[in-house]
Amino acid sequence: MPNIRKKLSHLYSRAGFGISLEMLKQKSAIPLSITIDRLLEDAKNREVLDIRLPIFMQASKKGNTKMERKMLSKKLQQENKKVNSAWVEKMASSQNPLLERMTLFWHGHFALISRNNSFVSKSYINTLRTHALGNFGDLVLAIAHDPGMIQFLNNQQNKKGSPNENFARELLELFTIGIGHYREEDVKEAARAFTGWRAKNGVFEFSKKRHDFGNKTFLGQTGNFNGEDIIRIILEKKQTAVFIATKVYKYFVNEKIDKMQVQELADVFYASNYSIEKLMRTIFESEWFYAKKNIGTKIKSPIDLMVGMMKTLQLKMDDQKSLLFIQKMLGQVLLNPPNVAGWSGGKNWIDNATLLFRLNFAGVIFQTTKLNLSAKPELEDKAVRKLRKKISGTMNLSPIMKQLKNMEEVAIYSTLKDWLIPTKLEIEKAEMDLFTKHDTKENYVKTVILRLMSLPEYQMC
Amino acid sequence: MNRRNFLRNTGLASTSLFVPQFLSGYNRNGFAQNGKNLVIIQWSGGNDGLNTLVPFQNDLYYQKRPKLAIPKNKVLRVTDELGFNPMLGGLKNLYDEGLLTVINNVGYPNPVRSHFRSMDIWHTASGSDQYWQTGWLGRYLDQASSDYIPHRALEVDDALVLALKGENRSGFAASDPAKLKRAANNRFLQKIAHHHDHDHEDNVEYLYKTLIDTQSSADYLFEKNKDSKRKGSYPSTQIGKDLATIANLITKDSNTKIYYINMSGFDTHVYQNNRQSRLLKQYNDAIKIFIKDLQKNQKIDDTLIMTFSEFGRRVKENASQGTDHGTANNVYFMGGKLKNPGIFNEAPNLSALDNGDLIYSVDFRRIYASVLKNWLGVDPGDVLLEKFKPLGIV
Repeated sequence: MPNIRKKLSHLYSRAGFGISLEMLKQKSAIPLSITIDRLLEDAKNREVLDIRLPIFMQASKKGNTKMERKMLSKKLQQENKKVNSAWVEKMASSQNPLLERMTLFWHGHFALISRNNSFVSKSYINTLRTHALGNFGDLVLAIAHDPGMIQFLNNQQNKKGSPNENFARELLELFTIGIGHYREEDVKEAARAFTGWRAKNGVFEFSKKRHDFGNKTFLGQTGNFNGEDIIRIILEKKQTAVFIATKVYKYFVNEKIDKMQVQELADVFYASNYSIEKLMRTIFESEWFYAKKNIGTKIKSPIDLMVGMMKTLQLKMDDQKSLLFIQKMLGQVLLNPPNVAGWSGGKNWIDNATLLFRLNFAGVIFQTTKLNLSAKPELEDKAVRKLRKKISGTMNLSPIMKQLKNMEEVAIYSTLKDWLIPTKLEIEKAEMDLFTKHDTKENYVKTVILRLMSLPEYQMC
Repeated sequence: MNRRNFLRNTGLASTSLFVPQFLSGYNRNGFAQNGKNLVIIQWSGGNDGLNTLVPFQNDLYYQKRPKLAIPKNKVLRVTDELGFNPMLGGLKNLYDEGLLTVINNVGYPNPVRSHFRSMDIWHTASGSDQYWQTGWLGRYLDQASSDYIPHRALEVDDALVLALKGENRSGFAASDPAKLKRAANNRFLQKIAHHHDHDHEDNVEYLYKTLIDTQSSADYLFEKNKDSKRKGSYPSTQIGKDLATIANLITKDSNTKIYYINMSGFDTHVYQNNRQSRLLKQYNDAIKIFIKDLQKNQKIDDTLIMTFSEFGRRVKENASQGTDHGTANNVYFMGGKLKNPGIFNEAPNLSALDNGDLIYSVDFRRIYASVLKNWLGVDPGDVLLEKFKPLGIV
């Protein structure tokens, strides 16, 4: 069994984006169960993403001239980039890691592409945040009401007499019960039930005129169903709990599922009437979550990697554009998943280009941030000078230095290694010593962190 | 010298050596060692096909595009009804020499007018209601796992397109082999690559493997690409530089088979003619030299160049001297071994439109099927996951 520090690192890397050395020390002195309680308790504070958007963003597009409308959409697009970076910064600075983690998970699940409209993006993110650890049924309903999703999956065009099936299909296939557990007829009937669910001026509106009030037969039941009924019927099926539990397991525990454990989760989830909090508690409190095969065996998503480094190094970028640039280079841009199925993750994050960027990323950060690092890693060339313009900021390593105050090199190395690398490390300290600076303690700490972050093993969580 | 060093120093560090052929279980298709090259040029943004290959005899064309239509006397005529945009003189010459095939009205059922989604459909070869996570060329790479070379499919870019991502194998991205070599082979990364041989967990192993593959490919591509005076004779545009890199590799018999480049900027909602002319000229000027180069080096018969865009544009021009997102479009092939050079099929029918858009008559997956079967030598069904009748392109 892994020791408490190892368990805490694992818990915080999966339920959040890593743990600071200071917190690791504090939390290892108290029982794990209390830490888990606290994580879940904190997540009840469903703080929304509070980014102020200029007031005109919220104004109706109507009544403006063509020129004005064009300006408006350009503004909305620019502001949308700000929403993206505000979200990343929130993840990196939040004291409520589980809420951030769950919100990101649901973004991949209820994947929405929103490139052009900051107002829509913000309200979608906050829909996820509000229900991230609440009731799954409420979350699905809120998503069905979400103006961004209504637009993205064409429910705006879903009218009595000419139904658009896009939303209904993805609701069944990707959001709830999964392919193979419904018939084509069910998609058609569900689409009818969601007719008239539209967005107007950025808020949900039920249009009686467009709604089909006729009888529908859905998953074996017949009635004058509306959207709420469809969601209710889907949730009655145990398969929905199995589908979600499987996805949650793959994301939080292991891509390779253990059927018994997933079944256990699905049972708990179903019995609790789809309490997400209960589902997550069951995972974090289980013994198997901390089994060796589940620790350090997942490839970090680009957001994991970036937010994790921002937290660890207390990294702040000078320009928010840097955050977008890094997401692009690593292959995951928030609010811009490849499609409604979200990111496929795992090995799919990795190709030669993204891997090289990952392995050189820390080097770039350490050189481009104002750190006065005297060691010059090999990357210093034109490419870095170009990157320096795109990625620059400040970092603060003093909290780390404080924790390592009374330690010698050997202890420093093993503390940092155990903290940053979740898996077995083949490279010996002696070998790493060739690539670290030994003139001052501060330089040693900096270069060890830099080198550890440049390892393939650091890509794991 | 350990095994890793040995492999590196002898230039043999490729994963194909780590997997004995008899274990791979794949010998049906494989990569035919026929030295054939496929070059794909992607026009991102939705190129306006009607102003590229112009239906200059069609009154409807001039009626619907009072401002944007290419005047009859400017069109570079190739048939009684079709002719090239004035910027595409090089393509007209290729047409005359029998080195060009144009397929009209290419599309797919229930077309999508979103750039990203439609590009995904072209990349994955899915239907418009399917969401696939792998690209058609990626799945082609998957097919021949026993014969794996990381840079078998090379995208001359910093990031990899979905088309080149497979389930287990992916293409390789390198905008500049020299830059890649520097990034991949710094001292630290060389050092840690030694630990490749250790016993790693599956995902960690994958990262190490990708790293050493990248390092050996970077070395390989750098060697093939260096010391060439070619760059100077190509235009200094991005596509000029990219095609020069590709020509270096092809003429030096690189074991890369598929090359992929992207040209963007074709989303011409406003003032289309200036923008499109500029882009088509860049394309024309670079491709002209590229083809000459291949001919001079006796590679034209071993090379097939395909150019496509995610959709065409609406027939009617908009109020801003541009065009909006449309549907069916042309696909262009060049090479020395075209089966049906010239204009492959009927010109677009401007009188039978679907809501103002062209109706496709050739499913793009039939084009892929032809390339897969007749050029790359694999069973298209294994890659496209559905049966499509190959079009007689090569």
